Parts: sequence; structure tokens; C-alpha cells
Amino acid sequence: MLALDLIQWWYLHGWGLYLKRFKNRIHSTFEFFSIGLLLRTLFQPFRQISANDTSGRTDPVSVLNSILDNLLSRTIGFFVRVGIITVGTILTILEVVLGTLFAILWPVLPVLPIVGICLSVAGFSFGSLLQ
Amino acid sequence: MNQFKHMSRRAREARFGKFAATGPFLLLLVVLILGLVAGGGALILVGNAWGWTLIGCAAPFLMLIFYINYEISKVPAGKSEDINDLLSREVLRSLPAKPTTKDIVNAIFETRSARFLAARYGLGRDLLDYIAERFEFKAEDVFEKSREIRAQTDSAQISGGVLAITLIVMTPGYEEMLKKMKLELSDLIGGVLWFNYLNNLLKSIHMPSHTGGMARDLMFGYTPILSRFATNISMQFDARGSINSSIKLHQEIVQQMVDFFSKGGRQNVALIGPEGSGRSTIVADFAETIVNAANKISADLKYRQIYKLDASALIGAGGGRGQIENLMTHIINEAYNAKNIILWLDNAQLFFEEAVGSVDISNLLTPVIEGGRVRMILTMDQQRFLEISARKSQLTNALNKIMIEPASEEATMKVMQDRAIIFEGQNHVYYTIWALKEAYRLSERYIHDLVMPGRAVNLLEVAAAHAQNGRVDDTSVQRAIEATYGVKLQGTQEKEDRERLLNLEALIHERMIGQESAVKAVSDALRRSAAGVRNEGRPIGTFLFLGPTGVGKTELAKSIGEVYFKGEQNMVRVDLNEFVEATDVQRLIADGASDEMSLTAQVTKRPFSVVLLDEIEKAHPLVLTTLLQLLDEGVLRDARNHEVSFRDTIIVMTSNAGANEIRKYIDEGLTGAAIKERLVDQLIANGDFKPEFLNRFDEICIFEPLNKEQLEQIVQLIIKSINKTLEPRKIVVSVEPAAIPLLVESGYDPKLGARPMRRIVQQTVENIMAKLVLSGEIDSGAKVEITAEMIKEQLA
Repeated sequence: MLALDLIQWWYLHGWGLYLKRFKNRIHSTFEFFSIGLLLRTLFQPFRQISANDTSGRTDPVSVLNSILDNLLSRTIGFFVRVGIITVGTILTILEVVLGTLFAILWPVLPVLPIVGICLSVAGFSFGSLLQ
Repeated sequence: MNQFKHMSRRAREARFGKFAATGPFLLLLVVLILGLVAGGGALILVGNAWGWTLIGCAAPFLMLIFYINYEISKVPAGKSEDINDLLSREVLRSLPAKPTTKDIVNAIFETRSARFLAARYGLGRDLLDYIAERFEFKAEDVFEKSREIRAQTDSAQISGGVLAITLIVMTPGYEEMLKKMKLELSDLIGGVLWFNYLNNLLKSIHMPSHTGGMARDLMFGYTPILSRFATNISMQFDARGSINSSIKLHQEIVQQMVDFFSKGGRQNVALIGPEGSGRSTIVADFAETIVNAANKISADLKYRQIYKLDASALIGAGGGRGQIENLMTHIINEAYNAKNIILWLDNAQLFFEEAVGSVDISNLLTPVIEGGRVRMILTMDQQRFLEISARKSQLTNALNKIMIEPASEEATMKVMQDRAIIFEGQNHVYYTIWALKEAYRLSERYIHDLVMPGRAVNLLEVAAAHAQNGRVDDTSVQRAIEATYGVKLQGTQEKEDRERLLNLEALIHERMIGQESAVKAVSDALRRSAAGVRNEGRPIGTFLFLGPTGVGKTELAKSIGEVYFKGEQNMVRVDLNEFVEATDVQRLIADGASDEMSLTAQVTKRPFSVVLLDEIEKAHPLVLTTLLQLLDEGVLRDARNHEVSFRDTIIVMTSNAGANEIRKYIDEGLTGAAIKERLVDQLIANGDFKPEFLNRFDEICIFEPLNKEQLEQIVQLIIKSINKTLEPRKIVVSVEPAAIPLLVESGYDPKLGARPMRRIVQQTVENIMAKLVLSGEIDSGAKVEITAEMIKEQLA
């Protein structure tokens, strides 16, 4: 009875539930690294550190200083954000690949014992593949 | 539809979960999987193909783990309305194939919801066993009825709690049974709703978070100075599972705040409401709302952090006003540059008035608030807001005001349910529903410096310290308010107290002579109060004592203080002959800060006392009009519009008006009620008092002039008090009977009554005693009888 319940659940509800949780997990990882937020603010100054407003100023040296300060702050901000986005993206991709692989494997899982027995009976080994 | 199927899929899953959805079983599965995979891998590596079988056999165990985690540990409700789809997992796993009422009771107590109701509502095992022993309900009928309760409690499934209420409702005469437990059906329904709310809260902890992630704060600036003088209250909501306010009023205000900050215009909100109305809770709810991106809020408001500015730290660090303004300028600049700050000025009046602990920096803040570049929340009480409005209309006009009203009883109960869970965690206790109800009732009655829900929540928190065996019930709350506010609660008197009340007349007469009708009227009123049959919206008793000077009016008031409030010091005395002008009303109701001897200030400090207002006939009519509200509703509003409760006081007003008439009526042969009737008519006719004033007293007591016999008894009382003074020296004094009329004759004055009596007795008896002691004629342990001759000698 238990085996039957399990198989029935595996194909009717389990798969859908797994995909739903998989989606939530991806979302959480994405959220954890704030990838969306970082992309939207990619060129903003690092921690809002920027020189004062230069509008109205006529002194070319101070205007140039301000522009350089802001440029530096934005550059640092850009690299920090890109770093985090890169790490986050790699981990998210890894999670997507592994999760998708398992989702594909999901319907096959119940028949793995039979596959295993068949392989054993056939005397399958990696060595035989190379021959 | 209502036929329980023991072998239904959900029932089977629930029973399997009883042992499968446990840590040890899941651990065993993991170990098996690892063992099979490792063993299989090893075999394959050594060239044995049976390793594939081992690896393949790990798959069913992996599937089992998914099955247990996703399905068995939850057994979600089915899609149909069949009872087998609706019963909760906890109930299903314990029901046998053909459940009797007893089986249902057993299953009920396997559930958390039933245990919750048992602890908090007293629906324990004993009660349901009692029902099951006397009544055998068909399982189908129970399940049918439980559908109604499920709908009323808005429950997704039929839980143990729902079934417990169902069994109670099916019991004949259940209303009476609940009444004995001081409960109603609505309370039990509320109990399941309370449990469901907490259960959903626990589930929400496991939901995905939307608070911005690790890089959220990279978008925003540093705030080193602001962080020194303010607390980031949004930080606590980054951790999951906080308790958001569940009351509708607060939710509406939070939505209003979101709207104000989302649209263009002035980016500020002023929350104006009395202390205890939940201003801080609303700000915390707002902080939680905007930190969660899953809520419907504008992108510009998402992830904003609320910083609560600490006025005292700022003032302490700043020194003079100039430095404080300088600091504040830095803080505002940081908040603006950081791009994610909402400044919260709690008790905002501290920033707009010059006083101890506050500083007026409105010149700096007004343009900032008007400009709206830095988002701000201001909270303060109504009175302070009105005062600031009168002085700084430009500032208050620039604010988006939201008025907060005190919460209703229903809303307060919900807030208490929310808070009780927090207090339970902090104090390792649990609260019963009676504790919550009592906290509401008693706080409404006795706590006047806060409004609902704050005052009920405060009392509930204090009650945790009075828990018995970890259980906080109505008695704990009563103890808490008695300990904190010195309240003497009805129905909780010890035997000694009850006996004192029953013998009130005798006790009062131990210290005052005569005036039996007045003493009886007062005693009856006090007994009514103690028995709980008085109107709680008025003072304990209101009495007008009419009579000539020196007949015992003040003495009776003092006796009441001594006997009822256990101490003569529990008396507030105001001579109304000092309130003869209309402008004196302000003095009478001045707040404690400006005049600590005003009536309202004294009663605020001594809410459980006798209030003696002497010589009311001399007060200005406006003063008497002011006192009408006090007599009617038991409250007076002081000069700052704060309500001062007189509901736990005994009001005694005395007057000499009509003293001559009383003598005249006695000479005419009138007695008791007839004197009172004629006197009251006469006082109204003379214009001494208005009828509406006199009608407001519980009793008007006429004090008759004392006769010779009573005066002799007074002399005996005074002798008794002299003996009390001499007690440490072990000297006892007595006066021979022939001497007493001499003292009475010398001590009685028709104009002053018995008032000179004490002086005369002191002059004579005490002088005689002093001489005897100093001359060495008597020593410790002596007994002295004072004769008429000795008195005559003294009086000569």
C-alpha cells in the first residue's frame, strides 16, 4: 500500500511540488544576492559616497575634482556590484542546472532499482564502455 | 460525506507519518542511502556489476525522504468537502476505524490546537472525558456539526480544537456549563482563531523572504552620526517571524502612511494619539511593511530603514542649542544622502519646546519638514500637538496628520493575544483567556494615564510576575494591579476585611460618638461598594454632611479613611473656603506640575482615598458646577485635559449651612428624615445649593448637635486616647464619674460643638498627670483616678 501511495504521489503531486520548491529556491538565491537590485543600481556611487553638487560652480578645478571623485566612487561601486553579481549568477546557474537535472531525473527515479538490476545482470561496467 | 474512512489515503498517510516524519527515521533513511551508494560505488570500482543494484536500490529511499518531507509531514487538506479530506493530520492519525465519542476525545488531545485551548481556556481532558462518559454522539453527527465550527473559525481543516468545541456545543445545556467557566461560545471560537493566527505566523517563517538580500544596503549611504543617536528599528524585521499588528485600525493607518510616503508632496507623517494608543507599534508595523518587497509598495519606498532618534542622547551630547542644531544638521544631511532613511522623532514635542530634557529646534526642522526632502515620522500626544499648533502653526500645517483613537475592546483583545505570545516567551509562562479579559477590565477601571490597548497590554506584562506554576490567570492580573497600583479589589477581601465591613458601624463608633444615622448611611454605601453592587462609573460613595461645627463631620470622614482605606493618611482634604472666586476653579483642577496641592493633583497621587471637601457653602458656584461631573461620572479633567479618576475615592463634602435650622427643627420635635427633608428644602429656598447639586449625592447626612450623654462619651474617648499616650510608661488614668459632667460643662460651646473638649481635657487631666509624674508621686505602673475636686482645682 505504501509503495503504491508513494508511486502515485511521485507522479501526480510530487513532481509539481518539487518544481514549485525548486522555483522558490532559485528565487531565494537570486534575492539573497540582490542581483536585480544590483543591476538596477550598477553605476551608482559606492555607498552613495559622492562629491557635493557642482551645479552653479564656476571654478574649473573644483568642478573637475568633483567629477573625478564621483567617477571614482561610481567605478568602485560598479566593480563591487559586478563582483557580487558574478558570484550570485554562477551559484544561481549551478543551482538551476542541478535542479533541472534532478527534475528530469524525477520520473526515472522509481525505475532505478530495475535499471540497476538490469545493469548488474548485464555485467555492465565503465570498462566495458571503453572497450 | 461524514463517514470516516480509516483506510482513506490521507488517514493512511497520517498514521504512517506518526513514526516516519520524525528525525531518527529520516536519519536512518539518509544513512541507508549513503551506505547503498557508497557500497555500490565501491563494488563497481572493484569490477563487481552488482554495485549497480545497490545504487539503484537507494532510489526508493530517496523517494521516501521526498514523500515524507513534502506530503507525510503535512497531509494537506483534500479538495473535496468529504470529511476524510477535511480532518487534520493530527486528528486522522489517532482515530480508529469506528470512532466512538471517547476515541474522538482521545484524538482531540493528540493535537496542538486542543492542548492550546486546554491551557488557555480550561477545556481540559477532564471536561471532554466528562462529556464522553455521559453522552455518546454518533461520529457522523460530530463531523457534520464540526463543519459549522470550522466555518465559524475560518479553519482550513477540522482540527482538534474545532472538534473540542463541537463536542461542547453538542452537549445539552452547554451554555450553562460555559457560564460556570466564565466563558461564552464566542470566546472559544476566538481561541481557535488565535491558534490559527499563531500557526500561520509559524508557517510564514518558512516562506521565502523578500527583504532585499545581502547587497541591499550597498545601494545606500553610510550614516555614522545618525547611527550614534538613533536606533534602526527596521533591522529587527530582517530576521523573519516578527509579529505584525493584526488589528484592522492599525493596518488602515499603516496603509495611510504608505500612501503618504508613496505619492508626491510632503514626505512626512505625524501620528497623533494618546499614550498607549499604539503609536510605536504602528511605526514598527510600517517599518516591517516597507522592508518586505512582497508587499504592495512603491519602488521608491522599498527597503527604507526607519531610524528612531534618541532625543535625550542628542541633547546630552549637544550641549547648547547651537551645538544640537549643528548635530541635527549633520544627521539630516546623512539621512538625505543615504537615500534609504526615514527619521522617526518619537515624542516629537521634545524637539519643539524649551524645557528640561527637550530643546526647541523648530527653526531648523520646520524648513526640512516643509521641504520634504528627508522623510520623517513624528509621534506625539494630542495635548502636546495642540500646544505646539498654538505656538508654531507653520510647522503643524506642514504635517500630514493621522489621528489615532484608542482601540476597541475587540481590537485590544487581539493586540493582547499578539503580545501574550511574546511575554510567554520572555517569562516562560502561559496566559489564560481569563488573564486577558481581566487585564482589559481592570486596566480600563484603574489605569488612567494610558489608553487602550497600551494599558491592558502593560498590565498583562506585569501579571507575568504573578504567575502560579507558570500559569497567568485572572488572579495573577488582580495581584499585579494590587501590587502595582495599590488597588483593593472587590471580591478578593480576606475574611478579616469582610468582617470589618460587616461591623463598620461598631468600628467607626470606636472613635466617634453619636450621629448613628449618618454612620449607618455611610456604612451601608461602603458595604454596597465592597459587595460589587455599586455603579463602577461613579465614586465609591458621595456624601454631603450637614450640621453645626464640632459634631463629628470631619471625624466621620477620618474614620472612613481609617476603616475603609486602612489609614487616616489616605485622605485628601481641601478647604473650599479658599475657592471663593470663579478663577479659583483653575487652582482646583491645576495639574500636578504647576500646583501639587490642587484637588486633581492630590487625587492623582492618592487615587484610593477619602476626599474631604470642607465648607462647600463658601465655594464659588462655578466651583460647585465643576464638581458636578465628579459626583456624576467619578472623573475630573485637569487643566491639561488629563482625566483624573475619582472612582476609587469616597467623596465627603461638609457644610455648616443650615446649622441653625437643624437646631430649630430639633426644638420643634422633628427627627431623622423629617429634618433632612425640611432642611434640604430650606437650603434650596435660601439659594445655598442648587437642587441639581444636592440630587447628586448618594446620601445627605444630617449631623445633629450632641447631647450631654454623648459629650460625656466623648470625654471618655479622649481619656482613652490619653491612656494610649501614657502606655509606654505603663501609667493608667481614669476620671471619677462625678468629674465628667464638670469637663463637659467646661468643654462644650454651643457655637463650636465638642471642638474645645479636647483642649479642656488636656488642660486638666494632662496637667494633673504631668505634675504627679514630675513630683515623683507616681511612677511606672501607677493607676491614677482623677477626682472632681482635682478638676475643679485645675479649672479655677
